[in-house]
Amino acid sequence: MTGTHRIYLDHSATTPVDDRVASVMLQTLTKNFGNASSVHGYGQQARAAVDRARREVAALIGARQNEIVFVSGGTEGNNLAIRGLCEAIQQHGRHIITSTIEHPSVRGVCDSFEKHGWEITRLPVYDNGIVRVEDLRAALRSDTVLVTVMLANNEIGTIQPIREIAAVIREHREANRNVWLHTDAVQAAGRIELNVDELGCDLLSLSAHKLYAPKGVGALYVRRGVRLIGQNVGGHQERERRAGTENVPGIVAFGEAAKIAREELRVRTSYVKRLRDRFETAVTRRIDDVVLNGDPEHRLPHLSNFSFRYIEGEGLLINLDLKGIAVSTGSACSSGTLEPSPVIRALGRNEELARGSIRFSFGKDNTEEEVDYVVEVLTEAVARLRELSPLNKTLVTSDLR
Amino acid sequence: MVYSNIFKDHLTNPRNVGELSDATIVVEESNPVCGDRLRLSLVIENGRIETARFLAYGCPPTLVSGSMLTEMLIDKTLQNAAAITKADLIEAIGGLPVRKHHAAALAIEVLTSALKGINEGRPS
Repeated sequence: MTGTHRIYLDHSATTPVDDRVASVMLQTLTKNFGNASSVHGYGQQARAAVDRARREVAALIGARQNEIVFVSGGTEGNNLAIRGLCEAIQQHGRHIITSTIEHPSVRGVCDSFEKHGWEITRLPVYDNGIVRVEDLRAALRSDTVLVTVMLANNEIGTIQPIREIAAVIREHREANRNVWLHTDAVQAAGRIELNVDELGCDLLSLSAHKLYAPKGVGALYVRRGVRLIGQNVGGHQERERRAGTENVPGIVAFGEAAKIAREELRVRTSYVKRLRDRFETAVTRRIDDVVLNGDPEHRLPHLSNFSFRYIEGEGLLINLDLKGIAVSTGSACSSGTLEPSPVIRALGRNEELARGSIRFSFGKDNTEEEVDYVVEVLTEAVARLRELSPLNKTLVTSDLR
Repeated sequence: MVYSNIFKDHLTNPRNVGELSDATIVVEESNPVCGDRLRLSLVIENGRIETARFLAYGCPPTLVSGSMLTEMLIDKTLQNAAAITKADLIEAIGGLPVRKHHAAALAIEVLTSALKGINEGRPS
């Protein structure tokens, strides 16, 4: 491994566009560039391409194609799901149940509703980073209209019990039929098998750039019969649920990436899991005082989140970056906030462990050789930063000589 | 802003790391807001800083500020050391983003505290 070789271990942040996806996308940028709403041949061609993509995205999650609304990404999907549903059914109640480890886009919408008089219950996660169904059962009320819990967490990868949550909601519907389930599946799509009927959710958000497609496109699954008020108005696109000229190149790329993800899911999943396990075995063998964040079993196969005691995450991140290795940290300095990762804090970890957390997320193009190199660099960087740290050394003041 | 080459050099090869068994004074300060910590150990001989060592916990600018500060202090008289400002330290590092200036401020705070301790004849 040379100094110029760069290793990308931040696939939970974004992924490179697959060459096969880029080549299909290029066609819609330069040749099939029509507006899907136009009546002429160019428009019809674009419409057909969008329809094909819709079928592929629907197939990835076991949905029907008319249940897919294309949006600009995960954040818009989460906003549309929560705002669109709650506006449509607020006459039945103004109570939302969510979790303490949601993506900022879900957290942000819930906070905003709270400011407008809605009541929000935030289910805790325990030291394994997973919500408990009994907590949901206790939190459901006659005026609860929405439960929004992510399928897999973006920092620690823990997979939430959505199927069990859906079962509790179904029971609750016998008394109150106006409660719906949304799940943010942005991190899960393309990494684990997804089927909306098996999950039992009513709304599900997806983002294309987490599965080797470009940024700026995503989708919201809306189960047939669920009322949703569009938040972008002024056009008939996406059955009036999301007005605005369709991002045809992005949608087509998303469709192609969804098709490839479905076809290659098993191979990809077992490959990244093998890399991740190799990495974790080596890290825990070579480095002392590391804490794995999240449940070791119920989590995404490609992701590993460790807290390295006595050191701060950003220092480690930049040391790795200077060696060409890209990772993420839950350190406050890095996010530009004063509080370190609320997700790691929600696990009951102290501030030092939250600040020292690093997320390594593997992708289909990483290699075992890269993993081994990262372990070498990481071991050395952690040792160097610990040598510098006053946290593991008692302060002994000397008498003035 | 992109960090300077001096910054990267100090981050990957920090200077004067550790503590001094024969320190004249050892002082540790922390930033109550972000939790960064910096420990400075000095050996003073005849009003001059003979040796300096540091330990730091925090974001990279805190680590680099500690490292650079020790380089700036060694061989300085106590009077000249007291004249070092936050701006001097930031300039020596090759610049810092404004939101990271608190790191240089912490380094100056620990220096001021050490010099005050020496003047008052106490270890910390």
